[in-house]
Amino acid sequence: MIRFDNVTKTYDSKSQPALDSVSLEVDRGEFVFLVGASGSGKSTFIRLVLKEDRATRGAVYVAGQNVANIPSWRVPRLRRGIGVVFQDFRLLPNKTVFANVAFAMQVIGRSRAVIRETVPDVLATVGLEGKNDRMPHELSGGEQQRVAIARAIVNRPGILLADEPTGNLDPTTSMGIMKVLDKINQNGTTVVMATHDDDIVDTMRKRVVELRGGSVVRDDAQGIYVGDAGAMAG
Amino acid sequence: MRLAFILSEIGSGIRRNLSMVTSVILVTFISLTFVGAAGLFQLQINQMKGYWYDRVQVTLYLCVDNSSETSCATGPVTEDQRAAIQAKLESEQFAPYVDTVTYESQDEALAHFRDQFANSPIVDSVTADQLPESFRVSLVDAEKYEVIDEAFSSEPGVDAVSDQRDFLEAIFRYMNWASVVALAIAGVMTFCAILLIATTIRLSAFSRRRETGIMRLVGASKAVIQLPFILEGVIAAVIGAVLASAALWGASRFVIDGWLANTFPQTAFISSQQVLILVPVLILLGAVLAGLSSLLTLRRYVKV
Ligand SMILES: Nc1ncnc2c1ncn2[C@@H]1O[C@H](COP(=O)(O)OP(=O)(O)OP(=O)(O)O)[C@@H](O)[C@H]1O
Ligand SMILES: [Mg+2]
Repeated sequence: MIRFDNVTKTYDSKSQPALDSVSLEVDRGEFVFLVGASGSGKSTFIRLVLKEDRATRGAVYVAGQNVANIPSWRVPRLRRGIGVVFQDFRLLPNKTVFANVAFAMQVIGRSRAVIRETVPDVLATVGLEGKNDRMPHELSGGEQQRVAIARAIVNRPGILLADEPTGNLDPTTSMGIMKVLDKINQNGTTVVMATHDDDIVDTMRKRVVELRGGSVVRDDAQGIYVGDAGAMAG
Repeated sequence: MRLAFILSEIGSGIRRNLSMVTSVILVTFISLTFVGAAGLFQLQINQMKGYWYDRVQVTLYLCVDNSSETSCATGPVTEDQRAAIQAKLESEQFAPYVDTVTYESQDEALAHFRDQFANSPIVDSVTADQLPESFRVSLVDAEKYEVIDEAFSSEPGVDAVSDQRDFLEAIFRYMNWASVVALAIAGVMTFCAILLIATTIRLSAFSRRRETGIMRLVGASKAVIQLPFILEGVIAAVIGAVLASAALWGASRFVIDGWLANTFPQTAFISSQQVLILVPVLILLGAVLAGLSSLLTLRRYVKV
């Protein structure tokens, strides 16, 4: 589903590359944790998948297609196939929960009828039944992140990228979000999640890819987080 | 659906940015009013040219007693000279230039003079022999006045060749200047309008960066992301153009139809009807202006 082929990303020529010859394959339906210290290149990985940036060297394949070969007018189609959530939720503060999710469908031209049918289903999937008409500021952080997840998956993308989705949340709330992401993964969506949260990684027992200084230093099938100290010792 | 969505986006953009949108409307209004004014001056010049050049005549004044020209060395024009001049005017050589030739005797000149200055006391002191006889020549093409002037001004018996064109040209020159000044003001104001539209779009893009960021991420097309901004500018500029058209039409109605046409009934003025042909031009100009400046701005400030 996602394949990095010797990918190097250098933001400016003077500094170290943010990603350094990364080769990695994520299969359809997999759940992958991307871990590593701050600045190790996790967000850069996500940006390259979205074609927000281009790789300096190497090739990035998404759903079998080299993203470097996608012309700019086709990039929106690439992004429709990928949902994204961030640490800071990025909801529209003046729109209701329903409208925030519906927005993602409106902008790609879905009909009102389809929107009315789909959005409540998706809100139910993320555990937000009955909160349609709340404004974002009337929600807890965990609920806001659920809205963001609903928006990311409402167009049924094959891939869900999550960049530290639990970074702003307490452990209990975070586990709730993980349950939602796991459910989405069970439904067949490939999930790549960058995180610092060792509890979550250790609990979920999914594939763990660790980056250090832009290189993949570990790729365990049912891995654990291993703190920075452990990584240094090992 | 997408259309309704884009329209609602435009609506919210304009509401959020109301003061900027208003200033875009006003600046395009003023700049296009000056563009239109320059256009009207040109229309008026063409109208007057067409009207006058059809009627303009070259007059060959013939020598009288005390003419000082060398061509009048022999004193007042003689019978033979007059015949020679007329023959030359009607010759093959000048047929392409000369339309009609009429002779005006000293008595006829006096009669004209009396008509023209009917209320003036000098009429009584002027006698026929003080006024020159003349040939009134209407030209096929008024612009070819020089040809007649060159050929006849030193012809024996011709005192002077005069052309009403000189006078008209002076008027046209002033009107041309007026239209150049209007165009210059229009240019400056248009420049302001472009900058203002660019700034407005930039502010608008900034105040909606959350929305556009999300649109990008969920895969909205470039058109859906950018169209609301472009249309916001275009709608404001078109409103400005409509206001400018209304102002020009109103001005032409009151100033030209209501005042000038009555005060100078013998002059051909453009009508307020003709102002209407400027309307689509101004609207198109406003739309293109806004469209281009917003496209250029968006390229820098709204990533797709
Ligand atoms: N736009 C940019 N311009 C220049 N350098 C950048 C840019 N974005 C990231 N970097 C650099 O690239 C490296 C990797 O950054 P990245 O954001 O991928 O790290 P990360 O693993 O996501 O870190 P964190 O856990 O703190 O989010 C860092 O050294 C960072 O300074
Ligand atoms: Mg990051």
